[in-house]
Amino acid sequence: MTELLTRLSRYNQLMLAGINETLYMVGFSLLIAVIIGLPLGFLTAITRKGHIMENTPVHKVLDLVINIGRSVPFIILMVAVIPLTRVIVGTSIGTTAAIVPLALAAIPFVGRIVDNALQEVSPGVIEAAQAMGATPLQIVFKVLFSESLPAIILGITLTAINLIGYSAMAGAIGGGGLGDIAIRYGYQRFKVGIMIETVIILVILVQLVQWLGNLLAKRFDHR
Amino acid sequence: MIEIKNLVKKYKTRQEEITALNNINLKINEGEIFGIIGPSGAGKSTLIRTVNLLEKPSSGEILINGENITSLAPDLLRKRRQKIGMIFQHFNLLNSRTVRGNVSFPLEIAGVAKAEREKRVDRLIELVGLADRADHYPAQLSGGQKQRVGIARALANEPELLLSDEATSSLDPESTGSILELLARIRDEMKLTILLITHEMEVIKQVCDRVAVMEKGRIIEEGKVIDLFANPRQSLTRRFIKSIIDFNFPEELFKDHNGGELIRVSFLGKSTHQPLISSLVKTFELDANILYGKIDDIQGIPFGTLILELEGEYNQVLKGINYLKGKGLTVEVLSDDGALDQAVQV
Repeated sequence: MTELLTRLSRYNQLMLAGINETLYMVGFSLLIAVIIGLPLGFLTAITRKGHIMENTPVHKVLDLVINIGRSVPFIILMVAVIPLTRVIVGTSIGTTAAIVPLALAAIPFVGRIVDNALQEVSPGVIEAAQAMGATPLQIVFKVLFSESLPAIILGITLTAINLIGYSAMAGAIGGGGLGDIAIRYGYQRFKVGIMIETVIILVILVQLVQWLGNLLAKRFDHR
Repeated sequence: MIEIKNLVKKYKTRQEEITALNNINLKINEGEIFGIIGPSGAGKSTLIRTVNLLEKPSSGEILINGENITSLAPDLLRKRRQKIGMIFQHFNLLNSRTVRGNVSFPLEIAGVAKAEREKRVDRLIELVGLADRADHYPAQLSGGQKQRVGIARALANEPELLLSDEATSSLDPESTGSILELLARIRDEMKLTILLITHEMEVIKQVCDRVAVMEKGRIIEEGKVIDLFANPRQSLTRRFIKSIIDFNFPEELFKDHNGGELIRVSFLGKSTHQPLISSLVKTFELDANILYGKIDDIQGIPFGTLILELEGEYNQVLKGINYLKGKGLTVEVLSDDGALDQAVQV
């Protein structure tokens, strides 16, 4: 056992770099996904029939965009957006380059999660706000956002964990990260110890993210 | 205060066009509590929701203090709505805000400054008796307490009109009573006009000054609550009254009467104090046999019901009935089993 750990410790630098890369990719792509996905989800929800800014054509387009984005397998998306990545990042290889497809995959995911969360807000509460003379913008921020915040936080947590999973595939375009280590060292070079170590780290990471998300959601949940 | 003129609301479904409101005309006076009662599907909810335009009418006018709100631009409508409070059956409070936060909400919407907001919120929470619950979330409150928050919230922008959409329908009888008391009190203290809809006659009896009865999108009867109780014209109205005043007389009453004419006499207030039966007996040479009698209390006014059996010459009986009617009593002829006899029109 001690011997195994000593042997593994030779790879500590590698592991640390892997953790860093994973956090970097997931963190940034999540940030971008929330910045774009949140308004996307809101727009989709409030343009739905019977909602505060009913607009069927806009709703249908957004709904379709989200569905298309969610149906492309990530590994294909990653390759397909290489030209776009090159335009944005300057290169299509590396950790930073991996952020582009990761964010692109997560945006529609966040959009759908936010859309679903908003549909859970009681129509009666929205109506009460309308009866008080609230503007659509006031309803968005003071009613929809605050009432669905716990659900949105849990949704973003779910997205973060999905991104950790997706980021393993980023190795295919030189993105690095823990998943990449598991594949290159563990799977391709039969270093089972390293594979198990990365998996354990990933499990801990996912647990940590979920715990944090739950904690935060609970903090805002007064139902 | 409110004047509703020729109001029509039609819905289109895939198959057909439904008329939810069929030419409604209504006048509600300043400072009164006006009730609209009807069975579910009568259109009362649609009607109250047109008053703040949550529901757009198909045609007709709604004048509030002479101003036709159906033609207001969205911006002006929002300003107008700030002066119309509304409370709901399911309270519709924000779960993410405390009692204080909920009451503050309409003030934030109206752009009231923070210091003023806090002052008013404290006063309102005090008014509805929730001072010790100010920092609780709705989930921690009982139904009655939630509705108190709803009322405080509805009053925040000092409205002239309060709409109550089945506000007590999901409350237990005790909470219903205390909420109705609160409504009556704020009407008196704040010179508010209250329009409420309900399917419970008890609510009408307890707080309303005037009432309209709705059925199938129309108002079928309207008047002072006390008059409606004393003299209901429509069978639906009668059914509603029966739901709270027991008109089911014990069957034994009718088993062994002497074969005279059975009448039900209802009387209100003052006539309770007149010696009517004895004058009936003396003037028309009738035997009046009292089979049953009771007195209910409607808004502090005694409302009496008597079942009499009148024996004597038929002509005299008819004269006697007319005499009672002339004294302002409601007289209905019953058939031998105690049912209302539709065939006999006196």
